[in-house]
Amino acid sequence: MSTLTISDKERFLINQEGQDFSHEAKTFIKIRELALKNLKDLDFPTKKLENWKYTNLRGISKIEFRPQSAINIIAEKVKAHKIPNLDAYTLVFVNGFFSPEFSDTAEEKDGKFVVTNLNTAKRKFIKFVEPYLGFQTRAKDQFFVNLNSAFSQDGAFVYVKAQQKLDKPVHIINLVDGDLVAAYPRNLIVAEKLSEAQVVVSYETIDTASALSNVINEVFVAEGAHVQMDKIQNENKNTTHISADYAVQHKDSTFTINTIPANGKLIRNNLSILLDGTGCTANLNGAICLNGDIHVDNQTYVNHAQPNCDSNELYKAVVNDQAASIFNGKIYVNKIAQQTNAFQSNANILMSNDAKANSKPQLEIYADDVKCSHGCTIGQFDDEALFYLRARGIKESTAKKVLLEAFIGEVLDKIKIEAVRDYASALIAKNFNSKN
Amino acid sequence: MLKINGLKAEINGKEILKGLNLEVKPGEVHAIMGPNGSGKSTLASVLAGREEYEVIDGDVDFDGQDLLDLSPEQRAGEGLFLAFQYPVEIPGVSNINFIKTAVNEVREYNGLPNLETKEFMKLLKEKQQLVELSGKLANRSVNEGFSGGEKKRNEIFQMAMLNPKLGILDETDSGLDIDALRIVANGVNELKTKDNAFVVVTHYQRLLDYIVPDFVHVLYDGRIVKTGTKELALELEEKGYDWIIDEFKETV
Repeated sequence: MSTLTISDKERFLINQEGQDFSHEAKTFIKIRELALKNLKDLDFPTKKLENWKYTNLRGISKIEFRPQSAINIIAEKVKAHKIPNLDAYTLVFVNGFFSPEFSDTAEEKDGKFVVTNLNTAKRKFIKFVEPYLGFQTRAKDQFFVNLNSAFSQDGAFVYVKAQQKLDKPVHIINLVDGDLVAAYPRNLIVAEKLSEAQVVVSYETIDTASALSNVINEVFVAEGAHVQMDKIQNENKNTTHISADYAVQHKDSTFTINTIPANGKLIRNNLSILLDGTGCTANLNGAICLNGDIHVDNQTYVNHAQPNCDSNELYKAVVNDQAASIFNGKIYVNKIAQQTNAFQSNANILMSNDAKANSKPQLEIYADDVKCSHGCTIGQFDDEALFYLRARGIKESTAKKVLLEAFIGEVLDKIKIEAVRDYASALIAKNFNSKN
Repeated sequence: MLKINGLKAEINGKEILKGLNLEVKPGEVHAIMGPNGSGKSTLASVLAGREEYEVIDGDVDFDGQDLLDLSPEQRAGEGLFLAFQYPVEIPGVSNINFIKTAVNEVREYNGLPNLETKEFMKLLKEKQQLVELSGKLANRSVNEGFSGGEKKRNEIFQMAMLNPKLGILDETDSGLDIDALRIVANGVNELKTKDNAFVVVTHYQRLLDYIVPDFVHVLYDGRIVKTGTKELALELEEKGYDWIIDEFKETV
C-alpha cells in the first residue's frame, strides 16, 4: 500500500479547477495552458525570496479558496460600492464574474471605443484582444500572475481607437461575496495611437469571511496616447489581495497609475512599467493611510528601455496601530536609455509604536547620461508644524488631520477625477483614526 | 491680565528662567530686551506652551486662569497669541485654510458659531490690507517660499485675524528691513486697544521707535534685572547691557 501525498500548492490548484473554458478561442486557451504549465514549476512565494522578504502570506496556501459565482446578488449591495457622483461607464464583476445587470457596456460606441467584459470581447472583438491579452504576463517565475492567467473568469475590456477619447471614465467595480472565494478578475486596457482614457478600478467586498483576490491589470499605451488609472483597494479585513499591474508604453505616451490601498487583510501590488518608446512619461503614485493590522506591500518596477523618458514615483504612507507599509521601488535604465529622468520618493509617517514602514529603492543604471534620484523618509509628524497649528488655537486632533491632509494631499491631487479623489480622501480620513 | 510670579523653567535639564516676575495690565505695551541667551525667547515659548520647556517653579495667571495648566490651543482660545521668531513652513496647507481653521476653532472654544464665508472673506481682506500682505499669499502653503518680511507680516496678519487679548512678539523685528518693520509695527499699533496688551521681545531699540512701550524690561540670566520706561531702551542702545549687568552683579 502506498500513501499519496500532495503539496499545499497542488491541492490549491486542484481546488481552482472545474471551470470550463473550452468555449474560448484556441488562442486564449493557449494562454491558460501555458500558465498551467508554468505553475507546475512554481509555488507560493515565501519570505526567502528577496521580493517577498517583508510579506508573509500567512498560510493562504492551506486555505480552501475556490472560484465560485455569487448567487442572489442584491442590487442595493452592489450600488453601495459605486463611487458617489462619478459619471462613468460602470462594469461590475462579482467574484471575478461579470454582472451584466449592473453594468453599462458600450460596444463600438460611434465606432470610437469598446467598453465591455473580456469574455464578450474575446468573442466579438477578437482582433482587438488577441494582439494584447497575455502579452505582458508571460513571466515564467510569477506564481500569482500565472494563477490568474490560468483561472481568470472574466474582467473588463477597454479599447480606445486611434485619436479617440473615452467620453467619460470607465469604472470597474470588483466585488467579492461569499466565503472561501478565489476571484481572478483580469482587465485589459488598450489605448491606441493618440487616444485618451481614464479608468477607475475599485476592489470592494459585499461579504466574505475569507477571500483571495488575485488580479491583473494589463495596459497598452500606444504612441502619443494618455491613460490614467486610479486603483482603489477597499476590501474587508478577511481578504488577501494580490495585484499585478502591467503597462507598456510607446513613443510620447503618458501613463499614470494612482494606487490607494485602503482596506483588506493583506495587499500586495506589483507594478511593472515598460517604457518602450522615446519621450514617454510614467507617473506612479500611492496614497496610503493604514490602521488596524493591515499589511500593504507596494512593489514598483520601471524599465527605461528607450531614451528621453521620464518616470515619477511618489508614494506616501501614514501608518497607525499595528499596520505595516512596505515600498520597494526598482528603476532599471537600459544602456541606450540616455537622457532618462527617473524620480522616486517614498515618505512614511508612523503614528504608533507598533506601526511599521519599510522602504527600499533599487536603481540599476547602465546608461551614463541620466538623472535619477530617490529619497525615502520614515518619521513622525513634524512637531514644529504641529505646535504652530496648536499655538493658533487648532486642537491637536484637528491639527494632525490638517497635517495628514497636507501630507497625503500631494498624492491625492494626482487623481484627476474629483469624485474619485473625494472617495479616496474619505477612505484615508477614516483610516487616520486608530482602530485600537 | 498676565501675572508671572517666580517663574523657573528649564530645557534638557538646563535652567533658563530663574525666577521671573512680570505683570502686564490691559492697554499696556511691555518691551523685553536683553543680551543673547538671557532667556527672552524661552519666556515667549513657555507662555505659548511649547512642550520642550519644563516649568519647575512659579506660576502664571492669565485673566484668572492658571495658564500653565492649559494646552497651547487652549491658551490661544483664551486669547494668547505668540508671533513666532521663526514662523514654520507647512507645505500642503494653504494659508487661507489654515487661518480659517484657526479662527473657527478659537470661536468654537469661546462658544461662538463658525464665521460665514462672506464675513470671513471680509475680515481676511481687511486684515491683509492692514499688514500689506498680498492676496496671492493666501492660496500659497503656509509660509512656504515666503520672504523673511512676508513671514513676519503673516504672523501679524494671523494675530489680527485672531484678535488676541495678549500678543507676544518674539523678535518679530529681527531681519526686517525698515519698510517691513514699519508695516509690522503699524499693524500692531492698529490692533492696540485699551483692553488688550502686547509683550514685545526684541534685541533692538529700533522697533520701539515704532511701537512705543509703556515699560522696558531688561532680562538677564533668566530674571528681569531692570525695568524702566522707553528711555531705558535708548540708554541701552547707546551704552549696551554691560552697565546693567554690572549693576545687577553688585546688588547680588
